[in-house]
Order: sequence, then structure tokens, then C-alpha cells
Amino acid sequence: MSEPRIVVIDNHGQFTHLEGRALRDAGVDTEILDNDTPPGDIDADGLVLSGGPSMDRIGRTEEYLDLDVPVLGICLGLQAIAELLGGTVESGDYGGYADVDVTITDDDDPLVGSLAPGTRTWASHADEVKAVPDGFHVTADSDVCGVEAMSDPDRDLYGVQWHPEVSHTERGQEVFENFVEICR
Amino acid sequence: MVDADAFIEEATAEISDEVGDANAVIALSGGVDSSVAAALAYRALGDRLTPVYVDTGLMRKGETDAIRETFSFMDSLRVVEAQDRFLDALSGVTDPEEKRNVIGEGFIREFEREAKEADADYLVQGTIYPDRIESEGNIKSHHNVGGLPDVVDFEGIVEPVRDLYKDEVREVARALDLEEVVSERMPFPGPGLAVRVVGEVTREKVEVARAACHVVEEETEEHDPWQAFAAVLGKATGVKGDNRVHGWVVSVRSVESRDGMTARAQELPWKTLQRIQSRITGENENVARVVYDVTHKPPATIEYE
Repeated sequence: MSEPRIVVIDNHGQFTHLEGRALRDAGVDTEILDNDTPPGDIDADGLVLSGGPSMDRIGRTEEYLDLDVPVLGICLGLQAIAELLGGTVESGDYGGYADVDVTITDDDDPLVGSLAPGTRTWASHADEVKAVPDGFHVTADSDVCGVEAMSDPDRDLYGVQWHPEVSHTERGQEVFENFVEICR
Repeated sequence: MVDADAFIEEATAEISDEVGDANAVIALSGGVDSSVAAALAYRALGDRLTPVYVDTGLMRKGETDAIRETFSFMDSLRVVEAQDRFLDALSGVTDPEEKRNVIGEGFIREFEREAKEADADYLVQGTIYPDRIESEGNIKSHHNVGGLPDVVDFEGIVEPVRDLYKDEVREVARALDLEEVVSERMPFPGPGLAVRVVGEVTREKVEVARAACHVVEEETEEHDPWQAFAAVLGKATGVKGDNRVHGWVVSVRSVESRDGMTARAQELPWKTLQRIQSRITGENENVARVVYDVTHKPPATIEYE
């Protein structure tokens, strides 16, 4: 089976290049593209939407959701999917920084189910998803954030609030490997 | 992970290709990144490379001597004694970015002179991937990224380790037999101890930071931190020998990391922390108190400014 090609969309996140590195380490063909790249120019079997500083800087992310390939949103990438598809994103009561223990709430989820019952993650966010869009369900939560991950397996749209690409997240590489499987 | 041996061959060929028969200079900081870039460029160019090391007065204890020793195999090495010029220029400057600018500009002046003397057409820099990201993201400026090319009209800039992460640079350093640079030297910021002195940089505060950093490096060695250092924060009250002291507050930081992008504050034993505290307050009469920084990155950065 040929390896999928997975493109990272850069939403100006600090860790974007680590997402590229994680995919490279997973053995797939990957490239990091600016988030103003015309959707027609993107040749990919899957997309990773990176984190970033602000919802005002997500570029053409809305159009990328119509490319009909699996999408994994990370941090702001997850929040962008939620907001663009009719969910709600608001400031959290308690920012998530560094260590966050996440509980997996759907063991069968193709993206994070394999991490059940829970996993130690590394996070950096002030905002969070308060309500997931239609078609999505919550697949992980934590003491500091009600939506640590969400999925819509029918449309192959996924998101995690934490940063699976940083070395302090335990089993972060597994999330990328699961996503590679989804893109096959 | 990078294949170090293959990388060394490719990088050497790339440098030879770009520089051709011309001369090049590189600024050596003593850190792993510029050491590796210099060793690669020396491999490609021999003595047509002039490595320049500027002692800004903001270096770690023993650093300048260590540089002379490690790079003694390069006949073209130049060590510039510029301590007073830097410390005088920093007098009265308190804003972190302004401090970086003053150091960056001073550095450019020193380097411009040396580059002209060496008749260099090319500049080699040890910029690594996270430097570029942090500069692009405006989190902080890295003085090895900008500045100099605006002043000196180089024909080209060569950045042989631009796509590598710190852990990968270390792999390459080992393959280049720069083992002592990797094992003895933790990451050290470009502006040196200036960013380990919060607020104005004075000779007194720099001395405290230098002495305290040395203690922390020695005492944490067996716990193998990715980076460990001390910073001078401000003043607070203490009592020493029945006398009230209004002395410096020194913060100790020791972190675990793979690539510097995220970091965990290390869980050091109480005994180790107490030894550090005792040595820093005991060896420096103007230090009133020592604190341990327990903050991870994020939300904090590793360095203080």
C-alpha cells in the first residue's frame, strides 16, 4: 500500500514544524503550507491544521474543510473546525498549559480511542470548544477542558486540543500514526 | 532523526559549493550550534574560514578559555576581548528587546571589523530551525538571524544547520568529534548572561549570574538536565550574620526537554536544591535569597528574557 501524503497547514503556530517532523518520523510524505495557499493547489490525502495565536489568522481554513480529505485540527486547528462548522468556542475558565491528564471518552474513536483510558498531554491554550458542531461528538475530556478531542468519523474530521507533536506529550506520535491510518 | 554522517558530507559539499574559492567568517558563541556550523565550514574551507569569538563579558565562567582549547585546531581562530565595550553600552538599558538590540549592534560592530580584516565574502551562521520559528513568530529576536548582513555586504550567507533541531545538531556534533561541546555545554542564549539578569545589566549583576550559573551547572550535573542555569531577578531582604541584607534574588531553573520547544521543570531533590542555595548565598555576599522556578514551558519560556 502506498503511503499517504499529508500536508500541514500553518496557522502561525509555534509547533507547526514539529507536526511536520512527527509526520516525517511516521514515514509519510509531508509538506508545510501557508494557510493562504489556494485549495486547488493542495495535493494531499490528509490535512493537519496547526495551532496558532488567533482565530483571526486561520487564512483559508474554511475552504480546506471542503477538500474531501481527512482533517486533523490541533489546538487552534480544532477550534477553527468547531467554529466554522457551527460549534462554539469561548475563553476557558482555566487555561490549559503544560501537563494535562486527558480521559478518553470514546474507546472506539479511530483517532484517540487507542489511548484509552487516558493519557498525559502537553497543552497551551486559553480558549476552548464549549459546544461541538452537528455530526461531532466529544472523544476526550479533562478536568480543565470539556472538549479535549472531538470527532466526526463520517466526514473524517478530527481535532485535539492538546499538542501531540511535542515531546512532552506521551503517546503523541500514536495520534499521528492513527491519523495516517485514517488517511490510507 | 538526521543521519549524521550523511548530513556532514552533504553540508560540507554545500558549503564548498556556495563559497567556492572565497573567504568566509563565522561567529563562534561557544554553543553547540555555531560550533557545529564552524566545524562543518572548516571541513569545507580550511583556513579560508575565520572563526571569530567575541568575549562580550556576558559569557559563562571559563567559557573563553574553553573556546580557545576546543578550537585550537583552527589556526585562523580570533578571540576579541570586548567586555568593557558591551557592558558600557548596556548601562541604563532595561527593556529586554532593547538589551538584545544593544548586544546585537555591538556584536555587529565587532564582527564587521573582523570580517573586513579577514576579507570575507561569505558569512556562515549556526542558525537552527527553532531560531527561525521563534523569530518568525515574534516571540523573541535571535541576534544570529538578522542585522549583520545589512552592514557588511556579503556575497552570501550559509546556514548549514538551518533545518536541524537541537537534538539533531548534537548528534552531528558527536559525529564531528566535538563531544566536549555537547557534553559540557548546555544551550546558552546568544545575548549571554544579559538575559539572565532581569532589568538593567550591571557588572555586579552579571558577576552574580555568572557565579550562580556555574554553581547550578555543577550541582545539577548528575541529574542530567537539558538546560540548567540561574538568573538574577531583583532585590529582597535577607539577614546574614545578624545584619539585614538588601540583596539579589537568584532564581534557579533546571529543565528537561528534547528540542527546547517544550520543557518540563525538573523535579530536583530537596538536598540538591539546598546545596545550590547554600553555595550561592554563601559564595556571594550580595545574594539574599534563592528560589527554584517550577514553571514548565509553556506557559513560561526557558530563559527569562
